[in-house]
Amino acid sequence: MSTPTTFWRLAGMSYTQYVTRAATALRNGLKEPAKTQAMRNEALSYNSATWAGGKAGSKKPVQVLSEAGL
Amino acid sequence: MALRASVQRVSRTLPRLMAQAGAARGMATEKQIFNQIQSTKNIKKITSSMKMVSAAKLKGDETRLELAKPFNEWTNALCGKPVHLDDLENITYEELPQKTLIVPITSDKGLCGGVNSFISRSVRDAIGKINAQGKECDVVIIGDKGRSQMSRSFPEKILRTATDIQAPGNFNLAAALSAELTAAGAMNYDAVMIVYNSYVNAAVYHQYYKVIKPMAVEGEGESMVEYEFEPDVKSEIMGDLYEYMLTSQIYYCFMDGAAAEQSSRMTAMENASKNAGEMIDTLTLQYNRARQARITTELIEIISGASALEG
Repeated sequence: MSTPTTFWRLAGMSYTQYVTRAATALRNGLKEPAKTQAMRNEALSYNSATWAGGKAGSKKPVQVLSEAGL
Repeated sequence: MALRASVQRVSRTLPRLMAQAGAARGMATEKQIFNQIQSTKNIKKITSSMKMVSAAKLKGDETRLELAKPFNEWTNALCGKPVHLDDLENITYEELPQKTLIVPITSDKGLCGGVNSFISRSVRDAIGKINAQGKECDVVIIGDKGRSQMSRSFPEKILRTATDIQAPGNFNLAAALSAELTAAGAMNYDAVMIVYNSYVNAAVYHQYYKVIKPMAVEGEGESMVEYEFEPDVKSEIMGDLYEYMLTSQIYYCFMDGAAAEQSSRMTAMENASKNAGEMIDTLTLQYNRARQARITTELIEIISGASALEG
């Protein structure tokens, strides 16, 4: 894999992570009460489980984007 | 005189004996039918309130789906349109490449009609046909109901599951789910196939599958040849675009699936309320018959008792 040229790749982020972080920065620039309403659009929560050989592993809760895909 | 007394005794006790024999034989007594009617009435109240809750949630989901539509349109130009899974026998999956990652989108909660079983059936059919063509495929399941159904049919093909997803979904959720796909190795597959339900209206939903392939950077099938890329790192930009396309498509399919789930739940709960109403009517007739039989029994006893006193 050749050296990345885009700044987010150099920082170790994927494009999706970069885009969502930019969206968070935009939402933070809003004034109240629009800010709290927009922040609600960011909330995520689910349980992720890795399977191996037909058996499920333990469920890991994911609350923020950085925890996803670990 | 003795004969008459014994006949009267028998005629007094016979109706009560018959009622006891009926209960012993397994016919429901009046009390049991009454309890059944009460519990069916409670169930009817619950299902009709669930239907109203689903109708209210459907409105929100429809709005979110409308907002998500632009996230889907542009991928059609690059990857082809979604394919309608109307008749499973006619779908061949021949256009799929050697390695495919299948992503079925199902719900976490039940009591929602046939949404999840249609998806499970389609995925099972797809895996069978893909393997028959000598190609490979694996599955990453979104939704608890899909997990429980598909883990019985092909547990060895499942790589990851994402369950107990907090509703409503948003783009962050889609970004997290595509990160899960990447962690499951989506970049090593030749294509990602998303299988989902599509909302048409409050009574109708269809199943679709959408294939997303990474775009070729060079060679024959090179995409976007008409464009010049600045800076000249087309492979990197195409890699980012593929990531964004996957996230965008997951976002749209998730919204579509959520709206379809709510509409299906609404229909299912309405049918359940209707059936409960019909059951209540039938049971009420039975209850009245049992009640009248009891009253007749009591009357017979009183009259035979009175006639015994006279005689």
